[in-house]
Amino acid sequence: MSLPQDMKKSLANYKHNSLFWTDLLYLMSNRQQSLAATGPFRKFAINAKNISTETIEMNEDMTEFNTRLSTYYKQLTDTWNEAQKEYSRKVPELPNDTEHMEASKRIWIDIYENYFTRLFDSADFAENFGKLVTSELEVAKHWNNMASTFLESANMPTKKEMDEVYKELHSLRKRVAKLEKIANKEGT
Amino acid sequence: MANELKIDPRLMAEFIKLNKNIFDAPNLAKSLEEIDLEVTPHEVVYSEGKVRLLHFSPLVEKQIKTPLVIAYALINRFHILDIHPKKSWVRHLLTQGIDVYLIDWGTPTQINRHEGFDDYVNGYMDNCVDFVRKESSSEKISLQGYCTGGTLSTVYSALHSEKIKNLVLTAPVIDGRRDSTVVSNLAKHMDVDKLVDTLGNMPPELMYYVFSILKPFEQGFEKYLNFFKNIHDKEYVENFIRVEKWVSDTPPIPGELYRQWIKDVYQENLLINNNMYVGGRQVSLKNIAMPLLTQVAVGDHLVSPECSMPIHYAVSSQDKMLKIYPTGHVGMIASSFSQKKVLPEFAQWLTERSEK
Repeated sequence: MSLPQDMKKSLANYKHNSLFWTDLLYLMSNRQQSLAATGPFRKFAINAKNISTETIEMNEDMTEFNTRLSTYYKQLTDTWNEAQKEYSRKVPELPNDTEHMEASKRIWIDIYENYFTRLFDSADFAENFGKLVTSELEVAKHWNNMASTFLESANMPTKKEMDEVYKELHSLRKRVAKLEKIANKEGT
Repeated sequence: MANELKIDPRLMAEFIKLNKNIFDAPNLAKSLEEIDLEVTPHEVVYSEGKVRLLHFSPLVEKQIKTPLVIAYALINRFHILDIHPKKSWVRHLLTQGIDVYLIDWGTPTQINRHEGFDDYVNGYMDNCVDFVRKESSSEKISLQGYCTGGTLSTVYSALHSEKIKNLVLTAPVIDGRRDSTVVSNLAKHMDVDKLVDTLGNMPPELMYYVFSILKPFEQGFEKYLNFFKNIHDKEYVENFIRVEKWVSDTPPIPGELYRQWIKDVYQENLLINNNMYVGGRQVSLKNIAMPLLTQVAVGDHLVSPECSMPIHYAVSSQDKMLKIYPTGHVGMIASSFSQKKVLPEFAQWLTERSEK
């Protein structure tokens, strides 16, 4: 399931308008911002546009996320209702002694377990869940980018820069291990 | 009154008893922090990064020379193999005179996000195996892999077959296409590239999600109801808390390792088709020619038997055995059933094929 065409159109229109005004306001206020900003804020003033752009793009992804989330909850609710109907059919009256209570609990668990396992096993559920996680990750990516802008403004290492360090360390460790193996072989 | 609700007094009594048990629970059960999961004495004989190699102290005189190295899964920690003295996989093997080593993968952090199959198989595992070979003066070792540890052990045995005397695969993840579990269903629809590129490692909270949808009513409701019902049964309570502590300890999975595992095993099914590459080398299951024991459980809802069993037919081993047990994924390694049935058969199989 994807977004309806008219919704996509209005989102694109909103995005274009927002970016246009963000750009223009940024250009118009650039010099004034630079004049007013001092110290670490100078860098932030330059990067401020990134925050607006990320926010606008995040809104778009939030729409997709909300659509997927609604489908996810609908799948859970529909399954719950179907299972409840089945349970009511099998256990029409509330049990009022221990034996019947135990038996009806077992029936309740079995019915709900079957219905929900069938749901989780279905391609529909897995597909929507996969897309739900993907849209969540898109939103997370915008958060990360915004956080990076703040970190960069404060002259602190960003996630991307830290990752470069991790990558470098990883490749160094591999090279050292390789050299150690060669040295050990030559030693023996 | 004709419509008066009649409730069995026994039902009321049970309800009151359950409430009393819930009230008494904090005085009868330890908190997770008070439990130490490391039961059987061992020492850390080798470590590299966050990975530790544990060597368990012998409980009886050694019966066989060939040591056994256990590669635990990447999900949760190794403690389930030694969860309780009466249900300990490791302890049982020690009492049979087997020399047991175990690889603890530790808890990876973001610094480990670039580690993949190559680092785990040709790096950590190979270094641990070489250490054991040297320390025990054995040219070859026996290797057991459980769950995803079974996948790693399969790849390792295919690439380093000259170091492996016997291979034991317990519920290994091999043929993703045949896997009929919920885990496999979700894995097949996951945009793993986006996940790893955005988050780095596979986060524990997503792993918890996957576990929470496996039998949600039995595991999320009935299990806890039974716990409160049995709160005065000391052994039951201790075992319950120990398993709960183990379940709650899910480390992240290194990003690159997770990416290749999901893609090559679940989505593209490369491992069983001999098309998986690790460290630039093709993983051919035909290279596995050593004796092989495959253990699967019919009630396994994490790795279905259909996913594990193809390894039995894909290898070129002449001496191979497939054992199918009427239990579940955890029941196969940490239960009274595993002590009575799975372990004695495993120990006998291993002893018969090891150097004395």
